[in-house]
Amino acid sequence: MKQKFIYLIMLVGLLTACNEEFTESPAVGALSDAALQNEAGVNLMLTGAYSTLDGVRANGFGNGWSISGDNWIMDVVSDDAHKGSTDGDQGDLYQVETFDWSTGNGYFYGKWGVTFAGINRANAVISLINGIEEGDFSAQLAEARFLRGHFNFELQKIWGNVPYISEENYNNSEFNQPNPGPIWDKIEADFEYAANNLPSTQGSEVGRPTSWAAKAFLAKAQLHQGKWSSALTIFNDVINNGPYDLLPDYVDNFRLAGDNSVESIFSIQFTADAGNAFNGNTGGALNFPNPGPFGACCGFYQPTQDLLNAYQTANGLPLLDTFNQTDVTSDYGINSSEAFTPYAGELDPRADYSIGRRGIDYNGYGVNPGKDWIRAEFADISGPYLSRKNVYWNGETDNMATGGWGQQHSGINYHIMRFADVLLMGAEAAAESGDIETALGYVNRVRNRAKNSNYVQAVDGSGDAANYSIEPYTGFSGQDEAVKAVRFERRLELAMEGQRLFDIRRWGNAPQIMNAYFANEARTIGNFGTKVNPYTATYDRFPIPVSAIDLSGNVLTQNPGF
Amino acid sequence: MRKIYLLKNLLLMVSLMLCSFTYAQSISGTVSDASGPLPGANVIVKGTTNGAITDFDGKYTLNNVGADAVIVVSYVGYISHEVNVGGRSTVNVTLQEDASQLDEVVVMGYSTQTRGDVTGSVASVDTDEALKAPVVNASEALQGRVTGVTVVNNSSPGATPKINIRGFGTSNNTNPLFIIDGVQTDDPNILNNINSADIDQMNVLKDGAAAIYGARASNGVVIITTKSGGYNMDKAKISVDMYTGISQIANAPDLLNPTQHADMLWQSMINAGVTPSHPQYGSGSTPFVPGSIQGYRRVISYNPIVFGDNFNATTKVGGTDWIDAITQDAPTSNVAFSMENGTESGKYFMSVGYLTRDGIMNYTGFKRVTSRLNSEFKIKDKITIGEHLNVSYSNTKSGVGEAIEMALRMTPLLPVRDDAGEYTGVAGPGLGNTRNPAAQLYRSDNDYNKRISIFGDVYLQYEILPELKFKTTLAAGMNTFDRRSFTYLDPEHGEPISENSMNEQDQTSYNWSWSNVMNYNKRFDDHSVNALVGVEALKDGGKGKGISRSGYLFEDPDFYLLNNGSGTPSVDYAYDGYNSLFSVFGNVNYSYLDKYYLSGTLRRDESSRFLGDNKSDIFPSASVGWVVSKEDFFGTDGFIDRLKLKASYGELGNQTLPANNPTINISGLSESQANYSFDGSTITQGAILSQVGNPNLKWETSVTTNFGAELTMLDGALSLTGEYFVIKTKDLITRDFSLISSTAIDAGAPLVNLGDIENRGFDFSLGYRNQTDSGFTYAIDANISHYKNEVKNLISSFVSGRGDLRNGAVTRTEVGEEMSYFYGRNVVGFTNDGRFQYEDVNGDGTVDDDDRTKIGSPHADFTYGINLNLGYKGFDASFFFNGSQGNDVYNYNKVFTDFPLFVNGNRSTRVLDSWTPSNTDATLPALLNSGTNNESSSNSYFVEDGSFFRLKNLQLGYTFPTNVAEKMGADSFRFYLQGTNLFTITDYEGFDPEIVAYDNLSLGIDSRIYPNSRIMSIGVNVKF
Repeated sequence: MKQKFIYLIMLVGLLTACNEEFTESPAVGALSDAALQNEAGVNLMLTGAYSTLDGVRANGFGNGWSISGDNWIMDVVSDDAHKGSTDGDQGDLYQVETFDWSTGNGYFYGKWGVTFAGINRANAVISLINGIEEGDFSAQLAEARFLRGHFNFELQKIWGNVPYISEENYNNSEFNQPNPGPIWDKIEADFEYAANNLPSTQGSEVGRPTSWAAKAFLAKAQLHQGKWSSALTIFNDVINNGPYDLLPDYVDNFRLAGDNSVESIFSIQFTADAGNAFNGNTGGALNFPNPGPFGACCGFYQPTQDLLNAYQTANGLPLLDTFNQTDVTSDYGINSSEAFTPYAGELDPRADYSIGRRGIDYNGYGVNPGKDWIRAEFADISGPYLSRKNVYWNGETDNMATGGWGQQHSGINYHIMRFADVLLMGAEAAAESGDIETALGYVNRVRNRAKNSNYVQAVDGSGDAANYSIEPYTGFSGQDEAVKAVRFERRLELAMEGQRLFDIRRWGNAPQIMNAYFANEARTIGNFGTKVNPYTATYDRFPIPVSAIDLSGNVLTQNPGF
Repeated sequence: MRKIYLLKNLLLMVSLMLCSFTYAQSISGTVSDASGPLPGANVIVKGTTNGAITDFDGKYTLNNVGADAVIVVSYVGYISHEVNVGGRSTVNVTLQEDASQLDEVVVMGYSTQTRGDVTGSVASVDTDEALKAPVVNASEALQGRVTGVTVVNNSSPGATPKINIRGFGTSNNTNPLFIIDGVQTDDPNILNNINSADIDQMNVLKDGAAAIYGARASNGVVIITTKSGGYNMDKAKISVDMYTGISQIANAPDLLNPTQHADMLWQSMINAGVTPSHPQYGSGSTPFVPGSIQGYRRVISYNPIVFGDNFNATTKVGGTDWIDAITQDAPTSNVAFSMENGTESGKYFMSVGYLTRDGIMNYTGFKRVTSRLNSEFKIKDKITIGEHLNVSYSNTKSGVGEAIEMALRMTPLLPVRDDAGEYTGVAGPGLGNTRNPAAQLYRSDNDYNKRISIFGDVYLQYEILPELKFKTTLAAGMNTFDRRSFTYLDPEHGEPISENSMNEQDQTSYNWSWSNVMNYNKRFDDHSVNALVGVEALKDGGKGKGISRSGYLFEDPDFYLLNNGSGTPSVDYAYDGYNSLFSVFGNVNYSYLDKYYLSGTLRRDESSRFLGDNKSDIFPSASVGWVVSKEDFFGTDGFIDRLKLKASYGELGNQTLPANNPTINISGLSESQANYSFDGSTITQGAILSQVGNPNLKWETSVTTNFGAELTMLDGALSLTGEYFVIKTKDLITRDFSLISSTAIDAGAPLVNLGDIENRGFDFSLGYRNQTDSGFTYAIDANISHYKNEVKNLISSFVSGRGDLRNGAVTRTEVGEEMSYFYGRNVVGFTNDGRFQYEDVNGDGTVDDDDRTKIGSPHADFTYGINLNLGYKGFDASFFFNGSQGNDVYNYNKVFTDFPLFVNGNRSTRVLDSWTPSNTDATLPALLNSGTNNESSSNSYFVEDGSFFRLKNLQLGYTFPTNVAEKMGADSFRFYLQGTNLFTITDYEGFDPEIVAYDNLSLGIDSRIYPNSRIMSIGVNVKF
């Protein structure tokens, strides 16, 4: 009997002895914090931070289309684009476009969330580097700070009053920070650090920023604050001493040939890989003609009549004050089976590289038939035009990819900043500083490139597809005209590139521009006038998403007016 | 005088003799219970020692019974029954089970106790009664039948029900721990793998009684024992149960027909100031419902996609009822066969079962084959070896989750199929953007979720001394899960899929546990001691992956292998891991005079999920009981037969977490979220932080206090139990989305100890059963439960519920309130232009986000169940009602059906009562063609009263008389008709007021549900 007890006690003892090891369970397949404390780890996490440039985050929330790194949503909010498709499709975006904004709209929340994911993935890299005692990680640190600067810049442009999450906050998981106002100083500090620590070239890894890129971003941040002279100094340096130039052909910026060209300063490296093309432009998947010459999703992101009107020229110069008094002929309300004669008046050639319209070749797929390629109905607000810069050209299969259900994941790089943008920002800083000659030079450099580019050709080989006419300015009568011309040139050159909204906001005249646009647009799309609400300065900032305020425990404060 | 006496004696003797000749007789009969003859029952003539015991067939014979004698029939576990013989020679008696069942052996996990000795809160399910309903998952049997236990199923066949016991003590997992014979798991899905006919006993430990399971017991413990056969049986008992029936949709919402739909669109456009015109309904002052779809198109070729318009789709007169188009009268059937037998040294129980339950949504359903073998052998005198083995295979066809939402939103104008017989779609203008749900479900027909589950245990018990036993149990389980889903081309859709693809998932999970328990059980005169000590180790692990590939040449299931795709395969996920628990425990039960009871338990657990000092903890509990009715002062002839008071205190843990390694940061590679190209062509691998760890995470602990009273009256016919409980949950574990908030990194939020919550409430049950002299038996069991939930402490000022709903969360949890109350704007009427008027809660003159407030509670005032059983001669009837009172439901589906989020989609007929200048007392605001004014954000319009009263189950049966059954070759033969969910009284406007919670911080939100079904069936129970 005693023996049996002893066996039992031994059994119990054995189990107890094993148990220290027994109750350890490793995290299989995971990278631990310790495993990342080296160069390979830093590089992995840094790549992870770049990966949010496209707008895709883990455990995403809000609307999945609002997140796109190419900021197409921002053009929809501006006078450049309609949401596209039918009114009921993506109802939240309809509410955004018609300025019926609620703080719970998923489009605001989605963009908000992915921007912070980017900021904090950069913080994760900075924090990781700060915790490693040996080795030189200054290049990676500079890249991480550049990325954080970029994401904070986005946040700043969109919401105005934003919280700043530092690497210390990240380390201590103190993510709920107040948003008393702008964070320009933090943004500038990151770009300054990057400018001082990044190499001037990145060799074959052109997707990484250089010191020149960081300078250009720093200057852009200053431009947004109206620091004209210091911005101009830096822009001049980048323009005169940097490695950049304009591509000979305007359209190459949006074609395979122009990927990572001499004009590219910092771009999202969208890549049409095999499989589900996770590195393609997933957030822009809706923005292809539906139905159309290829693919099928989903008829969103349609340029406005107002934008097309802006391309009207007289003697090769834009109608700065009167463009919205006359319309370029549209096929709105006309079915493809019905006759339509395209506009015969003078147009800036960039019009037909920015806007797809009936009767003109569409990215090499043949003549755009009008309504048959438009998903929206005539009763919807979206109008008759197609976007082009984000749509790959016929035959450029290296840019074509499809996602899990066959949606388009384009490989066309999106230029967060290209050299033409820098020239025009330089021109603006110069004009605002009273240096009209410099402004004129920079603007004309952009216009001359457009003038000397190849124009869209008629499909039948008869020559130009339309009556294109563009000339450089001979001079500006004064500072006001210079500023006006520079601002107008930005719209023409950078149309449908996600820039317009932030320009009109920082110029402070968004209400005038937008309300004029509503009236101009309503001449063509009758419904639009009744559906859209008047624009007020409240709309110069997105509302802080109510879910974000709730999750912060009311640490975040709502922007005025919401 | 003497003579007279003699005469008198003589007369007396004669008369006595005459009496005995005339009146004294022999009687015989059968004693049975609801399920058939009852062997071993005592039959005795009242006031005499003249008695008999029923034989194997339940038969007895009694001699010398006076014509006006009363016989008393009794059997352990049944209510004794007295019958007037009344001159009959055959007296058959049906005994009713005794609800109080004081002598019943209750399986408590590592040990057993007799019911009368239990001092904790232990509820037993009357499995015979509860498993009458055609359940798929045996835990459904708990619903409404055990006080304090709620079970909600989403009605989809094969879905796992959500169970919680005594309120919401945690924001974490509320699943109780299931002990199935020797197998332990907190995955309620395990009950999908068991044939419910195999179940012998289901006991629910609701308070400190569960402390023996320590760290896993805070949600309660459900102990299931399966049938085991009996020793010394003289022949095998075979039982066959079969039923077959039809399920139907129980409640379908009313949607607009095309005429109403067109009018709704017209009014919307007019209200928006737009001249009405619509691609389908024309233009002008009134709409026109077309005879065929305008601009109907389909894809005619892919790559590139080209639509052709050479197709026609004739509309259906009166429009298409899409709910009808995707639902069916679904057959259901079940066959269960079991056999048991036993000799002096061995016994077994074996069963096979086959269940098929088609879903009421087309092409959905559940099929299951189960088999079980339980056996036990006595080896020599002192050793018993036994095993339980359950093997099952199931296939769940779950259809398409969004199909019901699509059916609610699909335009009524489109026919299901076009003139060529193909599924229609919204590729034409003005038809919205829904996918054809009938086509979706049809295309899911070849998808499957196959599961093979094997689990069981082997045990050895060694009787060291008669009072000292050692038992070692090795239990193990394995689950393999094999899922395939194929995404077909959908040429009818406006956003057609351009490439078909297939997704395959394989997952294997395993678990094992080894427990060694020493049990001491001895009675010393008036003292009785029952004690145990044990050690236990258990491990729970799993591994799995999902792979997708596109580009299949043929859309034919014979072709569906991953190697037949042409796209680049994508590994969607892969995981591997385990967690482990090591425990030492002990328990002592002591009683004196069977009157005073004392019990204490201590368990120490060590978990692999935590770090350092948090890794282990000790969970104590104690309880006392006092049988007041045994005291002298109480007397024996009072109204009350038995009164027992009891109280318990226990600390219980909850270590079940949705993570194996919650304490550490986990980063990982991610193809979809971390990779990037630095040169525009080659992809560089990247990593992201995927999970934030919390090294300080510790056990969630529930401190439970329970006071109870048990009463039996009227010779056991009436029983009452009442319990009052307080459960304080400390350090409750949940993901902290306020820490990893919207301004944080995109990693999984850490599991943290969020705060403290208290539930207090009562469970009350009543049972009464009786039998009239004519043999009519009736019984009623009713129970009612109530809890009050209060959040006592939180690490942040409040926590929001699920954030993936349109326009954000609708629930909020904060200190001083109930968990997960509904939070939003309060609709108080309409503005002058017909928009919702919201309450200006803070009185600042404007309505904004600061005017959100509490707009409802998902917590019921009380829930209840009523079971009514009637029996007369061979007939039996049982009614089971259950209900809930005073809870609200957030009817999130109204976002789609009542508001213009998808303007061309269909809507509820509620929109017919929209605001107009002449209808200001309306249900809904003025129609518009887009959402506005936060009307589809969280507001009180969506909050509805979720109270209901339901006839959950009705069964009418007839058992053939024994002689008839015998002629049919059976010992007993019963057939029955049954109806489930026959009616529901509720004001709730959605499909069903019983809502499966998404998580415990998001209770009572009705979104994307599977409609509830009504099942009518016919069945037989035969015993051989």
